[in-house]
Amino acid sequence: MTAHDDGLPNDPEGIRLMIHALVDGELDAAAALAVERRIAADPALAAEHARILALQGAVGRLPRPDVSDAFRARIAAIGTASAQRPQDEAPSALPGLIAGAAQQRRATDTRPSQARPSPRVRRFGSFDWRAMAASIVMTAVLASGATQWVMFNAASDGVAAEIAGDHRRSLLAASPIDIVSSDRHTVKPWLDARIGVSPPAPDLATDGFALIGGRVEVVSGRPVPALVYRHREHLITLVAEPQQGGRVTEPKDVSSGGFSMVHWSDGAFSYWAISDTERPELDDFVARFRKAAV
Amino acid sequence: MAERFNEVVLPHLGDALALARWLTGNAADAEDVVQDACIKAHAGMSGYAGGNSRAWLLTIVRNTAYTWMSRNRSRGMMAVGDLGDLDEMAAAHGTSVPDEESPEASLIAKADTAALEAAIAALPQPFRETLVLRDINGLSYRDIGTMLSVPIGTVMSRLARARGLLASELGRAP
Repeated sequence: MTAHDDGLPNDPEGIRLMIHALVDGELDAAAALAVERRIAADPALAAEHARILALQGAVGRLPRPDVSDAFRARIAAIGTASAQRPQDEAPSALPGLIAGAAQQRRATDTRPSQARPSPRVRRFGSFDWRAMAASIVMTAVLASGATQWVMFNAASDGVAAEIAGDHRRSLLAASPIDIVSSDRHTVKPWLDARIGVSPPAPDLATDGFALIGGRVEVVSGRPVPALVYRHREHLITLVAEPQQGGRVTEPKDVSSGGFSMVHWSDGAFSYWAISDTERPELDDFVARFRKAAV
Repeated sequence: MAERFNEVVLPHLGDALALARWLTGNAADAEDVVQDACIKAHAGMSGYAGGNSRAWLLTIVRNTAYTWMSRNRSRGMMAVGDLGDLDEMAAAHGTSVPDEESPEASLIAKADTAALEAAIAALPQPFRETLVLRDINGLSYRDIGTMLSVPIGTVMSRLARARGLLASELGRAP
């Protein structure tokens, strides 16, 4: 084995761990580059890299357990029920809906005349129907309404503020990206494997906007793909919410929370571009992205 | 409080169920575990200081799953061996598998769902848990290390070992 001068471990075990770390997006750009070079130079490492990628893809494609509406409503009721009964005995008190056993035990411990007044619970046994109804409505919004809500309120302050918050958090995080790669053929499959959808990801490096990776954002309770571009010292996050119904809107300034922010839709995706760069530069990015993405 | 619970917990129910399903081995038990975990999460909401809410919830799910299994299952089913031994084993065997056992990437990519699920279920628990947290829940090495209270190097060697075992299992003739 030839000695390398790239700061990576030289033992076979060490370099294998580094390949796993590369696939997992755990390396910074410099280390990722060094590992990519080793892989390119060594067919055995390339085969290992391909194996890990294939395995990760296969595991990522495994069916995930369904979160049934009923289950989601049960969990949502945990939050809702106790919020409606702030005078209840302890902060950790189990909400009525799922605490039948505890309620019964309490009922046998306490004579009826001493029982804490709790008309809702009494009337419906351990079933807090108001909490349940509220949580079902909320679940319906979460489960099916989010897309429409986002579409019709695309430029609403709520979503804009949420995306601004996500972008700000990403700047504070150890790494602003979950998958480090300048290669859109890596970023798109990664996003596809995570959330089953990925937006156009043109590399605009020649225009001064280099694609450096991607991550998954949560907007209005739904995972959505985000691309990260670098422009000089600034990061630009491009959140792409999949659209149904295909409205096309022109770029609109929705700057929020101290960041420049532009929103537009191309029919397939509803985009938010956000950065701490100046507006004209962000507009330039948006124009180039739209041209390249068509 | 309810709003915060909804923001912090509800988005991650899918991840919570997936983790609980792989730790307990079946979907029905997973719902029980996640429900218990969400009650604990709600009670402990004031202890959530921001940061990665998914990692925070999954930590509670993991702890709840082990408590739940120790209560609901016989000792025999919980036997996972000594963790230290497993890590030593991982280190001694290394992450590499002999060449003749390393299947082509294309063979792995074609593995059917049932075979892959069986192979994951057959992994020793610390390896399975690390693989699920990384490849199904998408947590970072750092988050996993914090959750399991192990150094990042241990996370990396367990993960590499888990993937090596899976790859050689899937490479066997069907």
